[in-house]
Amino acid sequence: MERKRASLWVEIVLIAVGLLFLFPILYLLQMSVKHPGIFYKPLTLPDRLYLDYYGQALRGDFFRSLANSAIVTACGLGLTIVIASMAGYTLARRSDRLFRLVFLLFMTGMIIPTVGSLIPLFKLVNSLHLGNTRTALVFLYAAGHIPFATFLYSAFTKSIPRELEESAGIDGCGPFRMFWVLLFPLLLPATGTFILTNVYGIWNDFVTPLIFLNSPEKMTLMPMIVQFMYNQQSTNYGPVFALCILAMIPLLVLFIFTQRYMLKGLVAGSVKG
Amino acid sequence: MNLNRRKFWTGVLFLLPALAVFLLFFYYPFLESVYYSFTLWNGSGKPEFIGWDNYVNLFTDPHMTDGLQNSLKMAVFGIVVQNPLALLVAVLINKRFRTGAFIRTAIYFPVIVSLVVTSVVWGQLLQFDGFFNEILNRLGLESWTRDWLGTLKTSFPTIILLSQWQAIGFCAVIYLAGLQSIPPDMYEAAELEGARGFTLFRNITLPMLMPTVTIVLFLTVVGALKLFDLPYIMTNGGPGTSSYTLFLAVYNAAFRENNYGYATAGGIFLAVCIIVVSVVQLSVTRRREVEL
Repeated sequence: MERKRASLWVEIVLIAVGLLFLFPILYLLQMSVKHPGIFYKPLTLPDRLYLDYYGQALRGDFFRSLANSAIVTACGLGLTIVIASMAGYTLARRSDRLFRLVFLLFMTGMIIPTVGSLIPLFKLVNSLHLGNTRTALVFLYAAGHIPFATFLYSAFTKSIPRELEESAGIDGCGPFRMFWVLLFPLLLPATGTFILTNVYGIWNDFVTPLIFLNSPEKMTLMPMIVQFMYNQQSTNYGPVFALCILAMIPLLVLFIFTQRYMLKGLVAGSVKG
Repeated sequence: MNLNRRKFWTGVLFLLPALAVFLLFFYYPFLESVYYSFTLWNGSGKPEFIGWDNYVNLFTDPHMTDGLQNSLKMAVFGIVVQNPLALLVAVLINKRFRTGAFIRTAIYFPVIVSLVVTSVVWGQLLQFDGFFNEILNRLGLESWTRDWLGTLKTSFPTIILLSQWQAIGFCAVIYLAGLQSIPPDMYEAAELEGARGFTLFRNITLPMLMPTVTIVLFLTVVGALKLFDLPYIMTNGGPGTSSYTLFLAVYNAAFRENNYGYATAGGIFLAVCIIVVSVVQLSVTRRREVEL
């Protein structure tokens, strides 16, 4: 009986903590519908829905930036998945010295920070004529995520029995077809885990587009919000808050539908890794 | 033999695309930056070789030294406060509650919020006539109100504290995954022998969780050393150099002062710090893993 009471208390405390964690977002939400008359009273709640800020936010570059963010995120994740799944699979299956060395090389990529390389990278991108292109971002995201993705795919490959490939090989199935038709579908949990743990980071990235893009028609959401904030004539940040909410909606939808799988993926990843 | 060779080359072919992208866009710039770190170079012109000068200068530059100090403070805070808190949260939310789904979602949700949005919201909450100071005023604590991010003494501690909003959930969910992979029959067996509460935690949960602790500590320390977005958007390192981090100092040296050679030296130094800290930390926690 005593234990049950204790856990009720724990539950109440946890609900309070949960609300505390949600508070900044709820605050943002109410600020985005608060009319200018009471905007500067931080403790006053909005008395009616004032949607002008959303109108102003949507009149700007929102949809263009949304499309850019979607393209860059999808292509960056897609390219990483295609090339890292092949690499991770191979590294798990082969034990020659060359392959072990490459595996270690990829692992160092998880430790070395990219900040020192930003300037040479900037030069490289320009000399490849990829300056101010979304393509450059896609390659940069792929390069940055290859180590983790390779590690993940190689860990998951180890749980797939080799006999499967051997019997497919006897049936005359070529290596590329075998990988994409037979093995890649079996590695789907790894793909899911990779997407769910990295989609937010790319979507929310601020620094890379800030450095490597400069024309507004190619800009992604996060730098666009900051730009919009600096361009605001008044100090009324209502439209900025509305933009923040709008930029969060796609992630929120994804999060709500996938959070169950994310925990499962993490459990699987930690057991296999 | 022939088949084996063909398999070898198939393997190379599978590896090649990932290796090519990684080497071109990750390793090549990194190695080039090692070279630039020994030169005086402003980005255009010809780099002039100056030996270790850039590295020596790092240690007399307050942006770099304050940045390093702050990054280390952040790392220590991460190990001593953030991790135990996250573990506590994970142990608690691992229990079954009617409102469990809500609690988990609420605690993890900040992790998916971008640092841009985070900075906008917290900047608003913490500004001088913002929510927090207004609350303090209402409580009769006028003397406590201040410009949290604009005061020498409070700017970086404020950044550390508000980084916890995301860090706790991030670490807790990894701990939660670790907790859920502990087989439940281990607890049942121990409970049969009369073990309860904290004894269970000390003798089963913690030892079984050590691999996860290793991973989370590693991510915490690397994350602390790499901290950039929050101070960049919220204070740009100010006031003075009070909220600089190493990453921010490197960024500003490169993209504000065009002092590329010097900035890359800072970047390499940061890389070395991260490698040293992670090797030390991994060997310490790994040893505990083996012992237990």
